Amino acid sequence: MTVQQRNSIISRVWWVISFAALAILVAVLLAIFWFVAVRGFPALKFSLFFTVTSGLAGGLANAIAGTVLLTVIGLALVIFFGIGAGVWIVEVASPRGRQLLRFTVDVLAGVPSIVVGYFLYVALVEGLGWGFSLIAGSVALAIIMLPYVVRAADLALSTVPTELREGAIALGARPTVVLFSIAFPWALPGITTGLLVATGIALGETAPLIYTAGWSSFMPSLAPTHSPVGYLTYVVWTFISQPSDAAHALAYAAAALLMVLIFATNLVARGLVESWAARTLKRS
Amino acid sequence: MATRAVDVVAATTIPKPKSMAAQTALVRIWTTGTAIICGALVLLMLLFLFAFAWPAIKYNGWTMLTSIYWNIGDQYATGTTVHNGVAAQPGANFGSLVFIYGTLMTSILAMLGAVPLSLLVAFALVYRIPARIRPGVNALVELMAGVPSVVYGLWGVVVLVPFIGQQLAPFVTSHLSGVPFVGGAAGSGNGLFASAVILALMVTPIMVATMRDVMLAQSKALYEASVALGSTSWQAVTRVVVPSVRNGVFASVLLAFGRALGETMAVLMVCGAAANEFPSNIFQTVNTIAAIIVSQLESASTDASGIAQRSLAELALILFVITLTINIIARLIMRGTDRLGKSNA
Amino acid sequence: MTTMLQEPPDVAVSAKLIIRNLNIFYGAFHAMKNASLDVPANNVTAFIGPSGCGKSTFIRALNRMHDLTPGARVEGEVLLDGEDIYAPSIDPVTIRHRIGMVFQRPNPFPKTIFENVVYGPRIHGIGGRAQLAEICERSLKRAALWDEVKDRLDRSALELSGGQQQRLCIARCLAVDPEVILMDEPASALDPIATSKIEDLINDLKKEYSVVIVTHSMQQAARISDLTAFFLMGELVEVGTTSQVFTKPEDKRTEDYITGRYG
Repeated sequence: MTVQQRNSIISRVWWVISFAALAILVAVLLAIFWFVAVRGFPALKFSLFFTVTSGLAGGLANAIAGTVLLTVIGLALVIFFGIGAGVWIVEVASPRGRQLLRFTVDVLAGVPSIVVGYFLYVALVEGLGWGFSLIAGSVALAIIMLPYVVRAADLALSTVPTELREGAIALGARPTVVLFSIAFPWALPGITTGLLVATGIALGETAPLIYTAGWSSFMPSLAPTHSPVGYLTYVVWTFISQPSDAAHALAYAAAALLMVLIFATNLVARGLVESWAARTLKRS
Repeated sequence: MATRAVDVVAATTIPKPKSMAAQTALVRIWTTGTAIICGALVLLMLLFLFAFAWPAIKYNGWTMLTSIYWNIGDQYATGTTVHNGVAAQPGANFGSLVFIYGTLMTSILAMLGAVPLSLLVAFALVYRIPARIRPGVNALVELMAGVPSVVYGLWGVVVLVPFIGQQLAPFVTSHLSGVPFVGGAAGSGNGLFASAVILALMVTPIMVATMRDVMLAQSKALYEASVALGSTSWQAVTRVVVPSVRNGVFASVLLAFGRALGETMAVLMVCGAAANEFPSNIFQTVNTIAAIIVSQLESASTDASGIAQRSLAELALILFVITLTINIIARLIMRGTDRLGKSNA
Repeated sequence: MTTMLQEPPDVAVSAKLIIRNLNIFYGAFHAMKNASLDVPANNVTAFIGPSGCGKSTFIRALNRMHDLTPGARVEGEVLLDGEDIYAPSIDPVTIRHRIGMVFQRPNPFPKTIFENVVYGPRIHGIGGRAQLAEICERSLKRAALWDEVKDRLDRSALELSGGQQQRLCIARCLAVDPEVILMDEPASALDPIATSKIEDLINDLKKEYSVVIVTHSMQQAARISDLTAFFLMGELVEVGTTSQVFTKPEDKRTEDYITGRYG
C-alpha cells in the first residue's frame, strides 16, 4: 500500500467518524424534541392557560403570566441600558473606552447566571428589602440579556454606512439627529434580532429567578416588590420530582410550552437576519 | 403686542439651540450613564459579594477550601461558637471541597467528550456538508443551543438517569470492575456521569457554533493550497486549518468550560445532590457549587447567625472567580487572534 | 512512414496533458463549453482572455480543484500521460501530487518557511530531517529564493514580502516533485520587479516541467509562453503557438482581443 493510499483511507475513515459525530448530535437533539413533544403536547390542555397551579396540579396561568411579565419588564430594562451602552460604544467612546466596554460586556456574558441571581438576592431581595419580587426577577433577566443586546446594538450601529452619516451631516444634521433619523432606522433589524435572541435566553432561565422572583402559585400581583412571582421553568424543575402523574403532566406541559415559545422567538430572529441580509444585498 | 409678534418670528426662523443642546446632552447622559453601569456591573458584583461574604471568609478561613463537611450548625442550641471574631451556631462548618471537586470533575469529564465531538462536527459542517443542507444543520445546532437547561434536566431525569442506573452502570461496573473510577457500585443513575453527559450535550452546540465561525473566518485559500499539494482533505484540515485557528478553537473550548462550570439547573436535577463525601466512581452522586447554592437556599435562610447565608455568598464568589478567570483568558486569546487576523489581511 | 510525414506532428507523443471535450458547470451555469486542448511537455502554455472568460475555471479542472467547489460538475476527459484523471478509479490526491498548482494570491501556511516547503513531502510520508532539509534547499534554490531566506528558514513565512511568498509557494509546489505546474495568475498581486522575477523563474522551470499559466496580461503571455490559448465567455476560441496567436490570429474574436477591442 502506498503512502497516498494509506492517507486516503485514513482521511475517509475520519470523515466517516465526523459524520457519525454529527449524526449523534442531531439524533440526541431530535430525541429531546421528540421527548418533549410526545409527553408535553398531550398534557398541554386548553384549561391550563386559565387555571393557576395549586398543590401538585392545577394549571399554568400564573406561571405563564409571570414568565411574560418578567421577560417584558426585563426587556424594557435591557432596551434602555443595553442600547444606551451600545450607542456609547459606537458613537461616543474613545477607541480605548470602546475596547474596555466590549471586553467587560463579553466577560459579563460568561458570569454564571446563579451568581447573578445570588448577587441580586443579597443586594435587592435582602439588602434593599424588596423581598422576592417582580422587579428583582426582571433585573436578573435584564442582566442575563444585557451582553447580547449591547453586542447586537454595537454590531448593528457599526454597520451604518459612512456615506449615510456624512450625507446627513452635510445637510446640517446634528449628531443626535443623525443617531435617531439615520443610525437607528438602519440598525433596527440588527438590534431587534439581538433582542429576540436575548428574549429566547431569558424565557429559558431558571437559576437567576429562584433567588429573585421566588415562586408563587397565584397570579402575579403587579406589585413591584414584596410579591413573589411564578414562572414556567420553575414548574419544569420542581414538578417532575413530585410523586404524582398530574404534577409530571404539568412539568411536561410547561416544558413543551417553553420550547414552542423559545423556538418561535429564534425562528423570528432568524427570519429577520435573512430579510436583513437580503436588504443589504439589494442595496449594494 | 408688537414685541410678542417679533418673538414668535424669531422663535420659528432661528433654530432653537437650547432645546437641541438639551437633547444632545440627554442622549449623552443616557449613553454614558448606561455604559458606566454596564461596564462596572461585573466589578460591582464581585466587590459586593466579597463584602457580604467577608464575615464568612473570616469565620471559615481555609476550611472552606479544605473541608468536605457542610453543616450550618445546631440551630436550637443556646449560645454560639466564635471563630476569628465571627459568631456562628455551634457545630457550624462550611467546607466546599466536595462541591469544588464536583464542579471541576463534571465539567472536565463533559469537556473530554464534548471537545472531540464538537471538533468533528465542526469539521463536517465546514468542509464536508453539501452547501444546500448546511443552513438546515446550522439551524438545528442553534436550536439545540437554545434549549433551556431545565428541559435538558427534564430529559436527564426521565430518560438518561434511568438508562444509566438500570442498564449502563450495572453493565459497565460489572465488566470493568477493576478499573479505578469506573468499577464499584452502580448507583441510581444520578451522579457524576449523568451530569457530565448532560453538560457535554449542552456545551457542544455552543462550541460547534464558535469553532465553525472560527474556521469559516479562516480563508479557504490555505485549505485549497494544501489540497493542491496533494494532501487529503483530512490532512488539509488537521495539519493546516487547525494549527492556524488553534487559538480561536482553544478560546471556544475555554468559554464552553466556563459555561459548564456555572451551569446550574440541569446538573442540579441529575447530580444526586451528594453531601460531605466524594464519589467513589463516576456513577456515584456528586454536587456542584452552582447546584448547592440553589438547594441550600432555604436551610441557609434559617440560620440564626446568618453565617450560612454569607458562606453561600463565599461559594458564589469562588465560582465567580473561577469562571471570571477562565473567561478573561479566553477573551484575551480571542482578541489576540483578532489582531493577528487583521495584521495578516 | 509517408503518412506520418503528411500529417501534422503527432501531439499525442509529446503532449503531457490532453484535454478533450471538457465541459464545466456551476449548478445550471455552463462555465466551460466543450474545450479541447493539448499541453505539451517542457513548454509554457498561457491562457488569456478577459475576466470571467473561464480561463481560471479551466485551469482548476486540470488538477481536480473543482472537487472542492460544491455544485461544480466536470464532464469530458483530461488525460495525464494518457490516463484520465477523472476516471472513477483515480484518487484525486495522487493527481494533485503530479500536477501542482500556484494560486493568484500567495497563500503560505502560517508556519515557518521550512515547514511550508516540506509540507508536501511530509504528508506524502517522507520523515527524515536530513532528507527534508535537502528537499527544502533544493526546492528553494529551484524557486530562486534560497539566497534570500537560507538564514531564516525557521521564521514565519508570513514575514516574507508578497513576491517572496509567491516564490515560496512555487518552492512548496516543487518540493512535491510534480510533472505539471498550474499557475493561476501567479503575478497579479505583485509589483513589477517581483513579477519579472517570477517570469524569469517560469522560463527556467519549463526545462523540467510542463507549465500552464493563466494570465490577464497579454504582454506577460507574449514574454513567457510558447503556446497561447484564448478564452472568451466560457469557450476556448483559439489555441496556437504564441507568435501565431499574437501575429496572425485565425479567429476574428481573438484578433479583436489582441488589438484591444475587449475590456
